[in-house]
Amino acid sequence: MADDSPASHRRDPIKSSVGNVAAQRRRQNAVTVGKERRESLVRAKRLCRVGATGDGDVPVEESDMITDEEGFLLDAQTSSAVEELKSAVACQGKGAMQKRVNALRELRRLLSKSEFPPVEAALKAGAIPLLVQCLSFGSSDEQLLEAAWCLTNIAAGKPEETKALLPALPLLIAHLGEKSSLPVAEQCAWALGNVAGEGEELRNVLLSQGALPPLARMMLPNKGSTVRTAAWALSNLIKGPDPKAATELIKVDGVLDAILRHLRKAYEELATEVAWVVVYLSALSNFATGILVKSDVLQLLVERLAASNSLQLLIPVLRSLGNLVAGDSHTTSTVLVPGHEITDGVVKVLVKCLKSDHRVLKKEAAWVLSNIAAGSIEHKQCIYSSEAVPLLLRLLSTAPFDIRKEVAYVLGNLCVAPTAGEGKPNLIEEHLVSLVQRGCLSGFIDLVRSADIEAARLGLQFTELVLRGMPNGEGPKLVEQEDGIDAMERYQFHENEDLRNMANGLVDKYFGEDYGIDE
Amino acid sequence: MEWNAETLQFLSQCFLHTLSPQPEPRRAAESSLAEAADRPNYGLAVLRLVAEPSVDEQIRQAAAVNFKNHLKTRWVPSNDPNASVTFPPILDPEKDQIKTLIVSLMLSSTPRIQSQLSEALAVIGKHDFPKSWPTLLPELISNLQKAAQSSDYASINGILGTANSIFKKFRYQYKTNDLLLDLKYCLDNFAAPLLEIFLKTASLIDSTAAAPGGGPPATLRPLFESQRLCCRIFFSLNFQELPEFFEDHMREWMGEFRKYLTTNYPSLESSSDGLALVDELRAAVCENISLYMEKNEEEFQGYLNEFASAVWSLLTNVSQSSSRDKLAVTAIKFLTTVSTSVHHTLFANEGVLPQICQSIVIPNVRLRDEDEELFEMNYIEFIRRDMEGSDLDTRRRIACELLKGIATNYKKQVIDIVSVQIQSLLSSFTTNPSANWKDKDCAIYLVVSLATKKAGGTSVSTDLVDVQSFFLSVIVPELQSQDVNAFPMLKAGALKFFTMFRGLIQKPVAFQLFPDLVRFLGAESNVVHSYAASCIEKLLLVKDEGGKARYTSADITPFVPVLMNNLFNALKFPESEENQYIMKCILRVLAVADISSEIAGPCIVGLTSILNEVCKNPKNPIFNHYLFESVAILVRRACERDASLISAFEASLFPSLQTILATDVTEFLPYAFQLLAQLVELNKPPISPSYMQIFVLLLSPESWRRSSNVPALVRLLQAFLQKAPHEVNQEGRLNQVLGIFNMLVSSASTDEQGFYVLNTVIENLEYGVLSPYMSNIWNVLFMRLQNNRTVKFQKSLVIFMSLFLVKHGAQNLADTMNAVQANIFLEILKQFWIPNLKLITGVIELKLTAVASTRLICESPVLLDAAAAMVWGKMLDSIVTLISRPEQDRIEEEPEMPDIAENVGYTASFVKLYNAGKKEDDPLTDVKDPKHFLVASLAKLSAVNPGRYPQIINENLEPVNQTALLHLCTTYNCQIV
Repeated sequence: MADDSPASHRRDPIKSSVGNVAAQRRRQNAVTVGKERRESLVRAKRLCRVGATGDGDVPVEESDMITDEEGFLLDAQTSSAVEELKSAVACQGKGAMQKRVNALRELRRLLSKSEFPPVEAALKAGAIPLLVQCLSFGSSDEQLLEAAWCLTNIAAGKPEETKALLPALPLLIAHLGEKSSLPVAEQCAWALGNVAGEGEELRNVLLSQGALPPLARMMLPNKGSTVRTAAWALSNLIKGPDPKAATELIKVDGVLDAILRHLRKAYEELATEVAWVVVYLSALSNFATGILVKSDVLQLLVERLAASNSLQLLIPVLRSLGNLVAGDSHTTSTVLVPGHEITDGVVKVLVKCLKSDHRVLKKEAAWVLSNIAAGSIEHKQCIYSSEAVPLLLRLLSTAPFDIRKEVAYVLGNLCVAPTAGEGKPNLIEEHLVSLVQRGCLSGFIDLVRSADIEAARLGLQFTELVLRGMPNGEGPKLVEQEDGIDAMERYQFHENEDLRNMANGLVDKYFGEDYGIDE
Repeated sequence: MEWNAETLQFLSQCFLHTLSPQPEPRRAAESSLAEAADRPNYGLAVLRLVAEPSVDEQIRQAAAVNFKNHLKTRWVPSNDPNASVTFPPILDPEKDQIKTLIVSLMLSSTPRIQSQLSEALAVIGKHDFPKSWPTLLPELISNLQKAAQSSDYASINGILGTANSIFKKFRYQYKTNDLLLDLKYCLDNFAAPLLEIFLKTASLIDSTAAAPGGGPPATLRPLFESQRLCCRIFFSLNFQELPEFFEDHMREWMGEFRKYLTTNYPSLESSSDGLALVDELRAAVCENISLYMEKNEEEFQGYLNEFASAVWSLLTNVSQSSSRDKLAVTAIKFLTTVSTSVHHTLFANEGVLPQICQSIVIPNVRLRDEDEELFEMNYIEFIRRDMEGSDLDTRRRIACELLKGIATNYKKQVIDIVSVQIQSLLSSFTTNPSANWKDKDCAIYLVVSLATKKAGGTSVSTDLVDVQSFFLSVIVPELQSQDVNAFPMLKAGALKFFTMFRGLIQKPVAFQLFPDLVRFLGAESNVVHSYAASCIEKLLLVKDEGGKARYTSADITPFVPVLMNNLFNALKFPESEENQYIMKCILRVLAVADISSEIAGPCIVGLTSILNEVCKNPKNPIFNHYLFESVAILVRRACERDASLISAFEASLFPSLQTILATDVTEFLPYAFQLLAQLVELNKPPISPSYMQIFVLLLSPESWRRSSNVPALVRLLQAFLQKAPHEVNQEGRLNQVLGIFNMLVSSASTDEQGFYVLNTVIENLEYGVLSPYMSNIWNVLFMRLQNNRTVKFQKSLVIFMSLFLVKHGAQNLADTMNAVQANIFLEILKQFWIPNLKLITGVIELKLTAVASTRLICESPVLLDAAAAMVWGKMLDSIVTLISRPEQDRIEEEPEMPDIAENVGYTASFVKLYNAGKKEDDPLTDVKDPKHFLVASLAKLSAVNPGRYPQIINENLEPVNQTALLHLCTTYNCQIV
């Protein structure tokens, strides 16, 4: 029963059993309504301004800003370039081919001239059917390259503009094949990558038209810009949310091997694209995750994390690592065994990320740690005795909210023993006592006050641990000192029933008046 | 129900009559409607009637209300098995038709009907949207766009109102994939149209307001309402996380948001309801930016400065004004969020803090006319806000929250500034106490609110003032003031301070003020005498280190007569007739003071007269609960001292209790049964005839029909069985009792109660009396075991068998069971007793079952038989597990979900009286230690047959248990040979 259990199973956010949540493993939500954070770093769609093969003959203008006047001019030039292409395509006989190439080149130059290409004008003038015609089988490489280039930049436009490529897709896919020259195949891959970057609907079209296998094969060679472009296009293509494409990709012969090879040896830019492929494989497909964790990939990710300082690379590598830890219990139970060298390595690189100035790295590192901390007692001890704890404690009181929340999950997980059932978790008293003594309670009480209900729940759960678990009944006094009663009493009439019951229950149990006092 | 002229006529008539002032036609119409509602397509017919233009508006309005209520109960009928009525659900075809019609109908109807239909739509949406109602959102959007083109704001606001109610489900829920999928669907479809209408309305407001005089209010009103709805929808859609679309369009949203916080709209704001409308929009904006500040601080960062300063200047104005509460509260909340975020440095600048304190905090903490009005007009609400924490949304409280927020990073500065403020408020009071009394109130409020809270509503500490000296110099003068009615708010503040800091006030100081507290029970102000009662009540709960009560009966006994007198008198003040604070104080005093007969006499008279009064119309359940507890504790403690008082109590209470039973005061029946049980237990046999009358009533199946009575009835029945076992065996009563057992034990939700009854019977009756009934009892239990075998039931069964064994012997146990079916005894042991034994919890239960099991393996011929060696071994294994391992290692949480749901049904309406509670009886007083009993018994047994048992033990006990057993043998110096 390989994969294809829907993502909802894997991505189950925290279960809502009272008290036990902090011990649950967590993963990134597959369903996300937020903006994909990748885009701020590596755009899902890319304009091709200098030819993929470096033979761009257009002087790239330094300033991306163009005035209205220039824009108007560019639109007019584009329209006439399309007209020119139209007559060139209609033209038969001697010199026709050269004429077509010239017309295509002119159009391509116009579409590559600025950061804001005149896509609208080109579409309005009817460029697509002409470009599709230029992609027909038997055309010269030069013509194919120019046409695919034009399409690439059209696809880099707005959603509707990307969609306009629909009629061109079958031919673009066809030219990915081994029979095509490398530059043509790469340019086609680029265009398809842009299409796939647009959204789920177009990804499904591409997948049903068979774009995945040829793209996957393009990733196999050892080097070259083609490999990088293909990897990027694939990372767009398997983004899901349906896990099918990711599963299909890992099944393609040689892909796993290529991924490992690139992660081991490739220069940083290529490794970055490959890491993004691993991010989506591990985020979506249980099957792929299962295969990846049994390979060397974890070791390679750790090495990359240790060696590189490039944020572009570190982010996907760290996220892949996190997905693999969260995604398959095999990772924590057999690979990241406490005492193994790799485990120390992982903790070490995570500490490095926690120390980084970049918030995304801090947050993701805390997230990965929280998943490791949800493992066995030994895992908890391993983190507890590492350099991570002082960092986490500091972050809990000073970091922005989203990081604090992740950090709180780590610290919370360190204090509870794994349980089989749904009941209240057993405490690890040593950890709890020491973390509380080092001042983490106020951070958790702050979370109780948070408007974010997951954070509030976590805060309440930790408060419960303290109330129940601090020796000599010291818990209530500590919670009281941090003004925890006031924080919990806010839930007296809260709209979320679960939180309300938790908070009221704790106040009643630990701070209730003994109502029926007897002598 | 078909839709035709006849139906139209019938329904119109009915709805018309439901509006009739005459009760007869109204009730008749209501009952025909209730009957018709069970027929298919009733809802649809009513909806059609609502849409029928020829029908009178008021009939259609009544129909719309009925339609909404119809959907509430029947769209997805409750599956609570304990619900009093279950409704047939509306069938799918009818639902589909309703869903097709309702949007357009709602939009075309008049405002009153529209609001009903909008609510009805929200009811459907709650269950069906979006998965089972895919057409709703597209329909709303296309109507919205249509209405927007013609600037038809009645429709626009109708649609936005509906969208707002269906999107509320995204607030306050945990993130699940299902929720996120629904949210994503709504965002994909609605985020863009929402922004579009928001911007369109914004530009309409701008152009209208630009006209000379600020534009006509009538034009502006619907526009502001529309923007407010957009803001509320924004809040719902952004609650879980920041959606991509909103991040991409943050600038547009924030630009308008800021405008509404910084712009004045004079033509609207000149009227108070116009100002309220604009303020509602501003408050909604503040909630949105607070949400962003809290959850998306990075993305919001760029806007923070401008919003902080906008909110600041807005607040400086709003704080001076006496209305505008909601806006003040949400705006201060925003600043509080900022103060606790990473951007708290905004507050670090020189001069910022004093200014916040001066122009925002103090003006909002000061008493305003509304507070004084509430104090006088609605004391209950005032106390709830002032003392009991439901003031989360009041200006006073929220202003203090801001100070606390800032103090998380700037504690010292806050303390310095506030201390100075407090001193200056107090000195202003001193210069002219009667004119400036509110300054003192303000100072007291600040000290109390900024203190750290402790259990039970006390304060642990405050760094603002020295509590002792503040108490002496500021609070005590108020408490010692001779006129209990002067400056009542100040008195209330002082009493509250005393109550809150009660733990920190030394006993001699507090004690000296006790007569003053008693005196304030006579204050006319409801708040003041309630606070005085509350303060006394809480003082009596104060514990010193080591858990000993600080104030004892010896301390208060001299005051008790006058205290009780004042408490009962306070209940005579208008509106304090059912004052729960006073009743709770009575309860507490009765729990602490020495109850001499001089006190008991007037108290029981006072309490019964109140009881008779509330029986007529039970209103305040908390008051009533304390009343019954007071009676129970009075009876219990007085009789403990002087058993002869019981007849006096009976004489006072019987008439009231009989009234409750006779007139069937539902709310009080469980209380009455518990009090009766208490009285029966305090009696010495023979039981008086008046009780036997009640016993007869108790045995009628009628009494048991209401599930909320069952626990109390069981309790009463137990009391009778204990005190009057002989009477039980007369006139076929035992048969009736066993009938009740049979009924209770057959249902999983009441089986525990059934066992209580049965166990009491077994414990209190002779075997000779029981034996004819045993076959029947076993049959009932085995039947239940066959039909519904819950873990809870099996455990109860093991306990029952154990009790039977220790009371009537192992042989009787085996024989009566085997009489039902040959050899069933051994089967039951193997299948149920042995596996469930180790799950038993509770000290008494553990001892009982352990001892009974030990006796089984040492006395029962069946088990001593060589053929049963393995069963013998397994039983011993189970016993050792039971007695040697801590509870949490033996017990797994039982996943008995259905039981829990059912139980909630009745526990919700059954309220246990703590002070009429039954003492747990140990049926095995002669055995002290089950562990010792086990090894001693085994040693004796093995001595008779040396060499036999070590082998069985070796073969059948888990290794851990063998070790444990060995350990026990050593501990108690016994040997299994």
